[in-house]
Amino acid sequence: MRDGIKIAKSGMPVVSLVTEDFWPQGDFVAQSVGMPTVPRVQLPHPVAGTGEARMQEIANNIVEEIVDRFAA
Amino acid sequence: MSELLEASNEEVALETLHEMGCTDGLPVVIPTEERVERLIIATGLDPDMVLGELGPGMGIATVEKVAVAAVMAGCIPDYMPIVIAAVKAVADPRFDLTEVQATTHCTAPLIIVNGPARFECGPVASGFGALGPGHRANASIGRALRLCLINIGGGKPGVSDMALLGHPGKFTYCLAEDEEASPFPPMHTSLGFDAADSAVTVLGCEAPHSVIYSDNADDPEDAEKLLHVLSIGLANIATNNAILASGTALVVLGPKHASVLERANMNRESVQKRLWELTHLPTADHNRYAGQFSRDFSDETYSAFAEPKNILVMVAGGSGLYSMVMPNWGGAAHANSAVSVEVDNNFFCEVPGLADGTRQL
Repeated sequence: MRDGIKIAKSGMPVVSLVTEDFWPQGDFVAQSVGMPTVPRVQLPHPVAGTGEARMQEIANNIVEEIVDRFAA
Repeated sequence: MSELLEASNEEVALETLHEMGCTDGLPVVIPTEERVERLIIATGLDPDMVLGELGPGMGIATVEKVAVAAVMAGCIPDYMPIVIAAVKAVADPRFDLTEVQATTHCTAPLIIVNGPARFECGPVASGFGALGPGHRANASIGRALRLCLINIGGGKPGVSDMALLGHPGKFTYCLAEDEEASPFPPMHTSLGFDAADSAVTVLGCEAPHSVIYSDNADDPEDAEKLLHVLSIGLANIATNNAILASGTALVVLGPKHASVLERANMNRESVQKRLWELTHLPTADHNRYAGQFSRDFSDETYSAFAEPKNILVMVAGGSGLYSMVMPNWGGAAHANSAVSVEVDNNFFCEVPGLADGTRQL
């Protein structure tokens, strides 16, 4: 989240990817650094370690949402 | 009936309790007659009912005395069935409480809660940060047991509790198993209980040691690598279990690590067996480092744990890279075994004035 917010503050478009378990933390961080509406997309948890095929599947499932957020 | 002390106000009472050595060093809730009575009523038990004898002071743990400790620790009435079960567990001779309290090792009773009592008598946390801080039931239930060990069992640092350094879990050490996130049946079902039962399992053990493992579902050796690093944490040559070749230790699998074992089609028993195999250590290391605890092992390797069942396996914590292991002391007549006791809340009573959900002390 912090990386996404830093990039956003530098003026570049950004969408943060946050897993389900860390979503509340994402809200907290976004709130605490004063950018509560920073764009973010929720991923299932976990992603790391789940294997190439599963990560591909997750990517396929969220790619449109990421593009939509950039286009919004 | 417990002795009554008098004080002009609660501040004076707190200072008196500190001066008498009746606290754990932190402020306590003053155990007034009314507060103690409220917790006794909640248990539905006779205040003079004896739950056990607590060494090394050999104090008699009655329901009333345990309620005093529970008030001091900040417990609400709902927690009492778990506190009472935990006291019964440490009073069981297999726990070796007198020796556990007196040893120079840093062992502390860890309370593990299984079954519906996790919710009915809590909630006792089992997820993110279950070992603290921030979870009221976990904090105050574990602390209540510690205050029983101090004030009923007589465990005073440097006098009768000779732990050279102790560890932070000696303030409070309590969590629940995350049965819902576990791929295995609840731990207490492996210890003789039905899933619908509630039980506490108490193990005297060290502070938690973190174990990092970055899993990879595409790695055919994923589960074996995880078990290998867990086994190193459980019984490296710096642990009592490796040196004394006895005792019972605990593995707290994070849900993500548990899923690695599930993918490998393992169950709790096969995990325990493999960890037991992996904690067979080189006899040469034992001979080099065991000193006065040296034993005459005839083979090239020896087992740090007597049987696979001496490695308890549960699931708790947030889902990520980390699990935890808790080696233990392994001394005394029963090698300070884990003891499980059913949480009996059949006699639990609603406390007058608290029926509206008010949870004041």
